[in-house]
Amino acid sequence: MAFAEDLLNDAHHLAARGGKSPRQSSLRRGVSTAYYALFHLLIADFVVNWKTKDQRARLGRMFEHRKMSQAIFRFKSGTLNPVEADLQTVIAAFAQLQDDRYTADYDVGTIWSRTDIASTLAIAEAFVAWRRIRKEKIAQDHLMTMFGARRA
Amino acid sequence: MPKVPAGVVRQSEIAEAVAEVERSLAPDVAHIRYEIATDWSGDWAIYFRVVLSDEASQQRLRDIATKVVGRLADRLDFQALDLFPYHHFRNESEQAVLRDAAWA
Repeated sequence: MAFAEDLLNDAHHLAARGGKSPRQSSLRRGVSTAYYALFHLLIADFVVNWKTKDQRARLGRMFEHRKMSQAIFRFKSGTLNPVEADLQTVIAAFAQLQDDRYTADYDVGTIWSRTDIASTLAIAEAFVAWRRIRKEKIAQDHLMTMFGARRA
Repeated sequence: MPKVPAGVVRQSEIAEAVAEVERSLAPDVAHIRYEIATDWSGDWAIYFRVVLSDEASQQRLRDIATKVVGRLADRLDFQALDLFPYHHFRNESEQAVLRDAAWA
């Protein structure tokens, strides 16, 4: 978990660099790092369930970005309970950050502004929502789906 | 390329909803532009580009961004439109410097 938090701190640091004239490289790295912070947070909470500690890193490397974002969760219609609402926040944040990260890393034509980065970092605060629900069955089930397992 | 989403043929409905959200959040929201395109994974998506007032972006960014995202979701059923929403923000001063046509 510490690694994910370090990454989120790094993202804030990168986004704040350069004062009123930030370099696009810093802003892009900030976006990308914010995505990886959430990515590693989720993976860490999945692999910690694996009993053999020295195999956890290998297990984590089996996660695929595409599968993770395409893990569908069909929320029931009507008002969501607090756990479902938090999970919805995390899923939406992950999808947005993943697309932002792709743009930041590969689309050099897109110009990032300080405001856009600030809103990206606010999205990355889905950390808080995830922490509230990480041990809930619904959250652990969703991690399984992100890993590639079919929903039961 | 996946099949054309319902959102492509329901553009007037989207435009109307976006204009309504824009009006309801003025003057914090200067304007909202959008584009329907495929995202990094090839799925159809709608990209919102929201220009905020300098004051709102500097003092209440999280609050106003949450409102924009929430109101767009209230007005548009993205699942029925087969579109995944992405949101980007900048303020009027930033846009004045960047002069990005896609945000104008």
